[in-house]
Amino acid sequence: MSLTDLMSGAGLSGYAVVALVIFFATFLALTAWIYWPTHRRSYSDAARIPLDDSPTTCPPEAP
Amino acid sequence: MTAAVAAHPRTTTTPLDAFSYDDDIVRKFLVACVAWGAIGMLVGVLIALQLADPMFNLGLPFTSFGRLRPLHTNAVIFAFGGNAFFCGCYYSTQRLVKARMFSDALSKIHFWGWQAIILAAALTLPFGFTQAKEYAELEWPIDIAIAVIWVVFAVNFIGTLIKRRERHLYVALWFYLASIITVAILHIFNNLSIPAGALKSYSVYAGVQDAFMQWWYGHNAVAFFLTTPFLGLMYYFMPKAAEGPVFSYRLSILHFWSLVFMYIWAGPHHLHYTSLPEWAGSLGMVFSVMLWAPSWGGMINGLLTLRGGWHKVVNDPILKFFVIGITAYGMSTFEGPMLSIKSVNALAHYSDWIIAHVHTGALGWNGFITFGMIYWLLPRLFQAPLYSKTLAELHFWIGTFGIILYVVAIYSAGVTQGLMWRAFDETGRLMYPDFIETVVRLLPMYWVRVVGGSLYVVGVLMMAWNIFKTWKARPATYDVPVIHAAPLEKRWKEPVVPAPVGEGIIGRIRAMRYHRKWEAMPVTFTVLVTIAVAVASLFEIIPTFLIKSNVPTIASIKPYTPLELYGRDMYIREGCFNCHSQQIRPLRYETERYGEYSKPGESVYEHPFLWGSKRNGPDLAREGGKYPNLWHVTHFNKPRDIVTGSIMPAYPSFATNTIDWDVLPKRIVAMAMLGVPYGEAITNAIPMAKAQAASVAADIARNGGPTSLQDREIVAMVAYIQRLGRDITLASAAPAAAMRITTPRQAPAQVARTAP
Repeated sequence: MSLTDLMSGAGLSGYAVVALVIFFATFLALTAWIYWPTHRRSYSDAARIPLDDSPTTCPPEAP
Repeated sequence: MTAAVAAHPRTTTTPLDAFSYDDDIVRKFLVACVAWGAIGMLVGVLIALQLADPMFNLGLPFTSFGRLRPLHTNAVIFAFGGNAFFCGCYYSTQRLVKARMFSDALSKIHFWGWQAIILAAALTLPFGFTQAKEYAELEWPIDIAIAVIWVVFAVNFIGTLIKRRERHLYVALWFYLASIITVAILHIFNNLSIPAGALKSYSVYAGVQDAFMQWWYGHNAVAFFLTTPFLGLMYYFMPKAAEGPVFSYRLSILHFWSLVFMYIWAGPHHLHYTSLPEWAGSLGMVFSVMLWAPSWGGMINGLLTLRGGWHKVVNDPILKFFVIGITAYGMSTFEGPMLSIKSVNALAHYSDWIIAHVHTGALGWNGFITFGMIYWLLPRLFQAPLYSKTLAELHFWIGTFGIILYVVAIYSAGVTQGLMWRAFDETGRLMYPDFIETVVRLLPMYWVRVVGGSLYVVGVLMMAWNIFKTWKARPATYDVPVIHAAPLEKRWKEPVVPAPVGEGIIGRIRAMRYHRKWEAMPVTFTVLVTIAVAVASLFEIIPTFLIKSNVPTIASIKPYTPLELYGRDMYIREGCFNCHSQQIRPLRYETERYGEYSKPGESVYEHPFLWGSKRNGPDLAREGGKYPNLWHVTHFNKPRDIVTGSIMPAYPSFATNTIDWDVLPKRIVAMAMLGVPYGEAITNAIPMAKAQAASVAADIARNGGPTSLQDREIVAMVAYIQRLGRDITLASAAPAAAMRITTPRQAPAQVARTAP
């Protein structure tokens, strides 16, 4: 029995639809994560990275 | 000092590294971008002229539309777009990570290697060396070179991220990284082929599977070569030009992941109503429609970065270019999902509507983002004021006017064409049964496109002049500022945020800040992106390749004879697939015009598939037997002698060029390696081909045509055209007719085909 026979017998053409649901759920989870209010400060800092053109950049404080 | 720096006051114990940025490589890519862009766009104007009047094919094989169209697309995508991406990527990456590129040597290899590849493309495509896959036409040695140079770029880029001095990877870098990874995957898998000569190969995939792989690649080439890299550029250069941070950093993260998760699925929408399994097309459509949200989220994010600064747009050509560029992104990404809806696609597919859609994105989004970036970079790279702001303003307006003329004309042409193809009269017959009727109606719109495209090119030439004059005013030696930044501490850890009391497991998960950690781990981030792209691809690829019911076999379908294969290779060489489809959709107005709709099993020996994506001429899937051999000989020699108003180039060289018989055995062997059942033809290809050629030539002479064509290319081309679609029609017409279909084990005399 070849791999093609195995796949054909398994009737897997519908599994792409399952993948769609999984991917969409992952996307929704990620959205919730990104918009969680506690992350506001770090994103605000990150957004300013391109604007930092100073010739001297200092390291962050040790935690 | 910016807020970001102020938020992290310097510790007195950490020594600072001193380094400088490599802007020399950025200057090189900038000049290459403009030079190749001008050439590629000029070729675009030439092929637009050829569609308006075929005399602009200039009567030379290497200047015909079929050969120049891929030169135009490759030049503007990979030479103009590629060099623009590399230019902005090298400039912004160094500054975003506070580090010089990983290796100057790799940067140079990348630059010169990429230009050599472009040169190789320019030298091979006009001479007919092509794999016949849109945007992947280049032959196998060049494909290998592309893979090598791309790996060099990837190593240089990821190496720079690893040695960075800024802990957080800004979102633009994610877009670059996703582009680099995904383009590598797409390029390698779509270009797998078996060589049949120094510059000749056959795709390892056939028919439905090849079509699927090609449009998985083709769509994602648009996504990951023309969209994500330029989004990365937008997220860096738009805040720089607007002098303020991006409107919403969160939205940019969402934009990124949703594109990575969704874009890769959308390719099958290019194959609606074809032989591709219906489920794959539907899946592609659903994901395409879902793309509306992130694409518009990105557009809004880009435009709102100008919040509070819209007044600057009035006097700033750079912001003007960015605003129109981002708006064009929004327009084309609205239209793309709309075109993926099957009922819309039925009207638009194969028509000029798709060309208009592509050019809204290419001229508006890719072009204008690139121009805005270049004008912003010029004074910084050449350390001299921009030569003429007025000229830049004029470039903006002339370019915008050019785009409007182009797209309005070609949208009109597309809708006109689509509606004429499907129009029936009151008696239920096709209102425009002659394809040529639907062509001549479009010619005025094609002339408007020539004007619009020319204006756009004039704008680019103005920019080139501005660049030249700015460069002339450069200092004798460039100032190379020394940058000081502290290295990242290896043992540094993301501060732990305590879980809020009473929030239980959700609070603890939130406090761990997973995404924030990934963003600082380039290798992990790379792996995550690769998994997202690969898994999504496999969900579509595996069923398409491994489920038998997707491609039902048809017993009467046989391989092409050696002579027909030679003719097919000529069809590929001349780029006929750029204007003719070979795929009849199961729609009444298609079957009325062309005949029985195309079946998946008909393409099982098609390495590569030649379904096409545009109809400047009629579909040829059932062309075999429609006209006598002599009709084709006359038609190829002077198409307008047969079809008044035809815009097809003339191919008089077919009747003078002799067939290179010696290439046949290699090609048959390559096909056999791919599983095409050639049997006796593997060892007997040349005698079989000569016998069939003699038969076709005799028929042409017998009917009053030229004599002694038995060793000329025209007989191979005629043999191929006469075979198209006949396996099914002959088999269903009469079993006796099916017996005449060539099989590998037939004697050469039997292979000779009778004239239709």
